[in-house]
Amino acid sequence: MNIDRMEVLRYLGYKNQSIDEAMENLIYECIAEIREVMKKSFVYNIYDIEKQGDKVILKDTNLIFESRYLRDHLQNSDRCALMAATLGIEVDKRIGYYSRLNLTKGIVMDACATAAIEAVCDEVQEEIKEMAQKAGYNITDRYSPGYGDLSITHQKAIIEVLKAHIRIGLTVNKNYIMIPRKSVTALIGLHRGEENVVVDKCSRCKEKNCMYRKCGDANELEC
Amino acid sequence: MSWNVDFSKFLVFDGAMGTMLQAYGMKAGELSERYNIEKPEVIEKIHKAYIGAGADVITTNTFGANRYKLNDKDLPLEDVIGSAVEIARKAAKDKLVALDIGPLGQLMEPYGSLSFEAAYEAFKEQITVGASAGADLIIIETMSDIYEVRAAILAARENSSLPIICTMTFQEDGRTLTGTDPLTMVNILQNLGIAALGINCSLGPKEMMPLVYEVLKYSRIPVIVQPNAGLPKMVGNETVFEINPEKFAAYGRQMAESGVRLLGGCCGTTPEHIKALKSALAGLKPAKNEIKRITAASSSTCTVVLGGEVKIIGERINPTGKKRLKQALIEGDMDYILREAVDQKDNGAHMLDVNVGLPEIDEKAVMVKVVKEIQGIVNLPLQIDSVRPEVIEAGVRVCNGRPIINSVNGEDKAMESILPIVKKYGCLMVALTLDEKGIPETAEDRLKIAEKIIKKASEYGIPKEDIIVDCLVLTASAQQREVKETIKAVRLVKEKLGVMTTLGVSNVSFGLPARGILNRTFLAAALSAGLDAPIMNPMEADMRDTVRAFNVLWNHDRDSKDYINAYTDIKTKPQSNVNRSSKDLKKIIIDGMKEEVKEVVKELLKEFRGLEIVDNYLIPALDTVGEKYEKGEIFLPQLILSAETVKNAFEVIKEDMMENSSQDKAINKGNIVIATVKGDIHDIGKNIAKILLENYGFRVYDLGKDVAKEKIIEKVKEVKAPLVGLSALMTTTVQSMEETIKALRLHCPDCVVMAGGAVLNENYANMIGADFYVKDARDSVKVAEMVLKGSKNN
Repeated sequence: MNIDRMEVLRYLGYKNQSIDEAMENLIYECIAEIREVMKKSFVYNIYDIEKQGDKVILKDTNLIFESRYLRDHLQNSDRCALMAATLGIEVDKRIGYYSRLNLTKGIVMDACATAAIEAVCDEVQEEIKEMAQKAGYNITDRYSPGYGDLSITHQKAIIEVLKAHIRIGLTVNKNYIMIPRKSVTALIGLHRGEENVVVDKCSRCKEKNCMYRKCGDANELEC
Repeated sequence: MSWNVDFSKFLVFDGAMGTMLQAYGMKAGELSERYNIEKPEVIEKIHKAYIGAGADVITTNTFGANRYKLNDKDLPLEDVIGSAVEIARKAAKDKLVALDIGPLGQLMEPYGSLSFEAAYEAFKEQITVGASAGADLIIIETMSDIYEVRAAILAARENSSLPIICTMTFQEDGRTLTGTDPLTMVNILQNLGIAALGINCSLGPKEMMPLVYEVLKYSRIPVIVQPNAGLPKMVGNETVFEINPEKFAAYGRQMAESGVRLLGGCCGTTPEHIKALKSALAGLKPAKNEIKRITAASSSTCTVVLGGEVKIIGERINPTGKKRLKQALIEGDMDYILREAVDQKDNGAHMLDVNVGLPEIDEKAVMVKVVKEIQGIVNLPLQIDSVRPEVIEAGVRVCNGRPIINSVNGEDKAMESILPIVKKYGCLMVALTLDEKGIPETAEDRLKIAEKIIKKASEYGIPKEDIIVDCLVLTASAQQREVKETIKAVRLVKEKLGVMTTLGVSNVSFGLPARGILNRTFLAAALSAGLDAPIMNPMEADMRDTVRAFNVLWNHDRDSKDYINAYTDIKTKPQSNVNRSSKDLKKIIIDGMKEEVKEVVKELLKEFRGLEIVDNYLIPALDTVGEKYEKGEIFLPQLILSAETVKNAFEVIKEDMMENSSQDKAINKGNIVIATVKGDIHDIGKNIAKILLENYGFRVYDLGKDVAKEKIIEKVKEVKAPLVGLSALMTTTVQSMEETIKALRLHCPDCVVMAGGAVLNENYANMIGADFYVKDARDSVKVAEMVLKGSKNN
């Protein structure tokens, strides 16, 4: 699995400033260290889905999502994959360690870990895609609680359905924050049509002034 | 111990509950505990099926019956657990009912939100109900976090008299999800007064085998194994398990032959698996394994075994004679204390002594805080050091591991107060060879006291392997004649009693010049007499070198690996050659050379006063860096690197002021309390604000993350802070921020509030009642400068 330097820089709010050798080395050191301490693990399951109004119902589970955006996302899907992935608690510990003793490194480690969990999700998505294609399906992009009108409170139920606590150590606290921190839950639609994956994930978000926003197809770092 | 359950025979436990419930139509994600109330007949049927299959013990359907998993539901815990025990009791008849306690589903502090104390309360609630409903034993199972297990065991022991069984679940890398290995698990758990321990879930029996052997190698109490029916596999839409009952039973027999006493099944197992297991055990006699006792201390992820290679106990976290540490303890400056812990670890300490004894502070509360902070950052076993029993107990109670208690001595009173704590929490202890009459002059008399303590300890059920004897070092300047009695005593104690030994080595040189020479010479002599674990300063190269050399010469460091590792490139390393002129200080800060800055500031201090350096170098450099950041000429990590450089410069200035008894007044532009609000665990943004505010000379009281509003109010009042900074990163925790602000308005009406965090903006911040919205850490400095201008409150 690859942690992309450019992605790391994007999470650090990089806008083409000059980077000296020491900082460059620090970034590579952090990428290596995250790769070393992360224990990537994931679970997913495939469910038939039913749509009623703005509701998306996952059969054989107690999951009902009330979200227009999600329903639209799964417009053409009659099944979906439900996934959870995490880098494990050691990554939190290491970031916590540095943010107490070497804050600069803590910040860079945090960005590396964010890039890493996204890369893990890309891998899981690829695996789901291969499986889906064998069954004559194509996939949509990932859709996670917190996007659009899909509340992050759903994270709790997703984790329960996937038994993600026992299987990969993933929990949510009372305020629906996932711990370990570098974790993702998501839904991926399975449908019979063309593959429907948005390359520029930022384009569908309303936060136009986000410091992490990629700028269209152009070189993202020139904006 | 007298329990109503006979653990000397094989006991067969039941298999999975969830797997069976799914077969009865339970949907994924549903709370299985609901069935205890709504469909008790289904649960009873499953129990009966396992009894019919030959199970000696059935497990109540209460795995997730705790206040965290069952909260917002209309299912009162008492009813759910009470009914579960009742159903099981009915089905079990003369068989045994185990009250099932699963993990709470929350991660523990400091990485999660669950405190040790809250975990204890949640388990206590379950156990009280379950025990009074008539369970025969308690099984704490499928645990990943040994800290959570410790909370559960304490809750079980303090609120019931039932026998306790514990299992943890391991990953393929041989550790639990939170990093505990089998030896560490055994070393912590078997000393906590439980009946059996072992492994369950996660893996199938085949993958579990090597871990089971590891547990059997160390466990002196019965071992339980409850594997899954192999690893889960996806077939179409369904999860299936690959091991059939016959194979499962064959593995079970193999485990039983190796010494496992209690067997059952976890995910994917059915009554057929249990039936096959039961018949596979027919005619087999429980194996008896001889277990050699070891002397070992543990953190949650690492175990240090004494004997053989010399182990260093770091002594630096002890305020005696250390002004800067004293100040840190009084101010609650945890970062300084953590730095001491980390530096010792990086310099070869295997364990850390923790002593926070100061008359100015609440020693008990500070001990708890410091222990929790250190174990969140450093994975070394701890030695809890205090003269007050209540401080020791509070420290070892929250310790995540198996600590050493420092210390007990030969006085009856000391033994009577400390030994019960050692026993209850399953600790190791340091035994000082002194009594009512003080330290005996002769080695023989010290041996006698060691014998007395060992004898007394055995009456409490503490074996001599859990005792580390300290023959006490006297200072050569005052009691020169007796210095070598200590060496003699170490040799005697080692020969006659065969126990492990420790010594606080550096006492020997007190009051004499060039202490390092005496210390290392004495250390070498003590090591050759049989000293196993010196308490010393690992930062002193002389001492470290002596230990390393000794480990080579005594054949502990095989093939001199560690030694070669440590010294091979000692000559090729460039000497740190900082010879910059003071003019460069600004540039050093802008370039973020955070190590180099210390030497440069030390040089400057020969010429200038601390405050002059702050005003003429640090602040102007910071302003330059800040402007560059705002203009986008540098990005975040570069800004922070400069801030850390300034922080290091400040630290040097602070130490200088302390040594020269404050020729300058302390630098403080005003007090600010900062915190990430309750429920939120993001703290990087807050940490960035903290370092910048400190850089500009504000005294920042950082309460950390997930902080209750009461705590914030208490601190604001205590330090009379005119300004509070609050951080929240999630939409779900902004509400918590709003509540905090409301409470502050009520209790501290004069206090100004600034708020920041990813989800906030100007409007939102106003809406929830903050005085200022700060978009980043630089902004918080501007607000602080404005609010605290002229309102110096010290």
